[in-house]
Amino acid sequence: MANYGMAFDYELCIDCHACEVACKEENGISLGMEHRRLWIQKDGDIEGDFWNIDKSSVSFIQMQCQNCVNPPCLEACERKAIYIDENAIVRIYKDKCDLLLSCMKACPYDARYIDDTHFFTDKCIFCADTRLARGETTTACQITCPAKLRYFGDLNDEKSEIVQMLKKRNFFVLKESEGTIPKLFYFIPKNKEFAQKTIEKGTKIYTWGEMKPKIKPLNLKKI
Amino acid sequence: MRVIEISRRKFLQGSVALSIYSSLSFSECLVTTKTSKNKNVKKVPYLCNVCRNKCAGFARVEEGVITKLNPNPNFPKSKNMLCPKGNAGIQKVYDRDRLKYPLIRIGKRGEGKYKRVTWDEAYEYIKDKLVKILDEEKDNRSTIVYCNGEGFNKDEYIKFFNGKLGSANFLDEGSICLNTKLGATILTIGDVGEMDVAGSDYMIISGANRYESIVTPDSLNMIHSNQKLVVLDPRCTVTAIKADEYLPVHPGTDLAFCLSMIYIALKNELYDKEYVKKYFKDFDKLKDHILSHKYTSKWAEKKTHIPSEKIERITREFFNAKNPLYYLGRRSVWSKNDFQFRRAMVLINALAGSINKKGGIIFGKHIKLNPEEINEPFYNNSQGRFDLDGIVYGSNKGGSWPNFREKVLGKTSPYPVKAMFIRKHNLMQNMPDIKKTQKLLEMMDLIVVMDILPCDTVLMADVILPECTYLEREDMVVSFNKLEPSLGLRNQVIKPLYESKSIQDILKGLGKKLSKPLFEISAKYDIYLQKNIKKNGKNRAFKEGGYDLAELYKNSVPQRNKRLIISQFGKNVYDSLKNRGIWYPYIDERKEISNHYYEYYPEDKRYYTVKRNYKVNCYLEKLAKNGFDPIPTWRDEYDFKVPKNKFRLITGRYVTATQTATANNIMLKDFEEINKIWINNIVAEKLGIKENDDILVVSSVDKVIIKAYPTNKIAPDIVWFAHGFGICSQDLVNACGHGASDNMIIEDKYEKIYGCSTMHETNVSIRKL
Repeated sequence: MANYGMAFDYELCIDCHACEVACKEENGISLGMEHRRLWIQKDGDIEGDFWNIDKSSVSFIQMQCQNCVNPPCLEACERKAIYIDENAIVRIYKDKCDLLLSCMKACPYDARYIDDTHFFTDKCIFCADTRLARGETTTACQITCPAKLRYFGDLNDEKSEIVQMLKKRNFFVLKESEGTIPKLFYFIPKNKEFAQKTIEKGTKIYTWGEMKPKIKPLNLKKI
Repeated sequence: MRVIEISRRKFLQGSVALSIYSSLSFSECLVTTKTSKNKNVKKVPYLCNVCRNKCAGFARVEEGVITKLNPNPNFPKSKNMLCPKGNAGIQKVYDRDRLKYPLIRIGKRGEGKYKRVTWDEAYEYIKDKLVKILDEEKDNRSTIVYCNGEGFNKDEYIKFFNGKLGSANFLDEGSICLNTKLGATILTIGDVGEMDVAGSDYMIISGANRYESIVTPDSLNMIHSNQKLVVLDPRCTVTAIKADEYLPVHPGTDLAFCLSMIYIALKNELYDKEYVKKYFKDFDKLKDHILSHKYTSKWAEKKTHIPSEKIERITREFFNAKNPLYYLGRRSVWSKNDFQFRRAMVLINALAGSINKKGGIIFGKHIKLNPEEINEPFYNNSQGRFDLDGIVYGSNKGGSWPNFREKVLGKTSPYPVKAMFIRKHNLMQNMPDIKKTQKLLEMMDLIVVMDILPCDTVLMADVILPECTYLEREDMVVSFNKLEPSLGLRNQVIKPLYESKSIQDILKGLGKKLSKPLFEISAKYDIYLQKNIKKNGKNRAFKEGGYDLAELYKNSVPQRNKRLIISQFGKNVYDSLKNRGIWYPYIDERKEISNHYYEYYPEDKRYYTVKRNYKVNCYLEKLAKNGFDPIPTWRDEYDFKVPKNKFRLITGRYVTATQTATANNIMLKDFEEINKIWINNIVAEKLGIKENDDILVVSSVDKVIIKAYPTNKIAPDIVWFAHGFGICSQDLVNACGHGASDNMIIEDKYEKIYGCSTMHETNVSIRKL
């Protein structure tokens, strides 16, 4: 019984794709860019002509299922195939999935893809049926990352490294206005200029004290 | 931050079926194997071999199949990480296109027609050819050329072909890689050194693209340190994007930047006077030379296109920093001034006192491994190498490929070269002007290629010997690094697939087959051996002379490792290497800094500074004698100039590719299926070129067709595309026909101090098709 979440020190990402390959190899994800549980999104443009180039607004953002407290995909599924497991991870009953794709349409993060070998809409589940099922406490993407920028752990455990970090550093979430309450947190970069350039104006900056009461799992269902 | 919605939505537009029956075939979809829930499976420590880094990992094996590669937290070098290529290493083992059994050519060379044979038939074929060749060449063993790219077993290979078989002609990747850097460092400070990136608070990088060409531990140290990073590059790479300051620069002019830094440091006395007094030799010569040439920042601006005030400021910042480091790079040779450029960087570090010191170029301490003794025969008729004739220094180990090729093609070598043994070295793709390489190979009477995949070079072979991958064999123990030294052992994860063998097993079989027949050739021509036989008899002369070529492989690699490691370091070290893959003295005291990132050596145990008598050589007499600059000097011919309507072609790589070695890796193909040519966006617009347009690129030697990528990340007079594409071998199904090969059109030019190919000296024209 945990309440898993992830936090990213996105400032450190070098867009090397190690996380993406590790995820595919660990979880048996099909080849092809359209099949992926996570990806790195290049954000911001390189501006100016070559000799006066300005690359300061470019950042590399870790994208995957946000494991929302209010998952729109769960609400949208006509077949009630989507549930929240005992570790507060949004999961799917593969055999209940009829590929109606309402979940994909509902997701503001574009997190799901069609697993066309097992015929369901798959997404990141924090390696729940591989590593976590074996009792390991890391995800494939986290452990392979050269920058070690992915913090993963139990948000209910005050001693976990992720909570310790979230207490130390302020962060933001993606698409807060959607009301999804994501459990993926992006740390404010240490480099102030980088932070200013890469975080959209008006983005709410959170402290752990503000976030903690929001992330209690609501739709917990026993498997 | 915007979250751009691009990818899957488009699939929603059409029917589900469209996505389900997409272009991938069913078998391609299933190349990844999901790991099971089973806790109790074999986890074997291994060392990666997808690139030169040799990062440490644990392979998860389920029912005899490798299902996952995970990073090994014990290794100070790779610090608990695996890059995308390391993760995709599984796909090399299970690549459907692997060489599965020995083959002998039945069609024309290059045609790709082979018949399957047994190992013995392959050895027999090689033996017959070699006997004939050595008979013709009167036992001049150097008529057999052998080459090997980077890797652990290179020394095993040299021991066999040089030590045992007696050929002087070994060639490796150094002359198409970084020999100028190694040479410049050794000649200037007496050691190749190691760069302490982690300890540096201010680092300048010229061109080395450390985030798209990951080097451990350097790239990791850059990510995890708070140093100021300044990057010079003619292309805005990911390393440039991540830098604190990016300086766009003309290709091949970094030397001018360095000379100006030296000038400013000397003129303003910014250098470490105490250090200079103690260690510099011929400092006055350096000072007079640089000051009299007036390498001011204004001068350098004209050469490099870097504003003079930036050069001034960065020089001052660098020399004022506590632990400044001018990163020497690890990269192929670019221009004819490359040796001088690398040497200037070493001198800058020395002027800042950043030698044998934290954050600088350290000498450190290696863990020495005792050599295994072998009895090497003496071949009186074996002649010396010729590929360093006309080269000032050159590497006596790996020689000079371009000079070798030129001499053999031009028939100016002192004796003919008739046989070639090629291992882990894709000659048909790895050096400029591929047509010349093809001609060279066509001249051979015998070509034997040992490899894992049917690359372009394999298809030129008479005999193909399938080698196993790094996950299917144990290799000899290796000593790593000098700041935080450690030992690493590549353990065998699974048994070799198909009929493939380790290099030791291949050489053992070959040695057994060749020993006696080749001994007979020596007995026929070698007067010293004849005397010996007369005196001691044939059997004793054979045995005591070391003519048993398979002698080194009497014991298996695991047996040799066990004996070597236990006798030198004891059983604990051996057990650590078998169970953890790694050993270093503080392995049990490893401390977690945060989030699975560790401190390995305690700070006070690292070899930042060691006792060493050395000098910083400002003036190299030998260069002067040979008509080269004894002190780095700018020459007019180094000026960056491109004729009108032409572009300078520069090359590099993607983070997901190791030269051509990963070209067929189906997982990595997901990221960069083809290479594209970077063309300046403004130039592209003028020429009416849009992304993915087909572009014909023509140089003086050949032409290629490649898709366009217009971008503001490259200068108007330059084009760039990545190495590792444009594979011709149709037997590499995933690679063949994807993108273009840079070496098809790069001209064969090389510098004469180390005999290294200069990769950035070719001008091309481009045309939209």
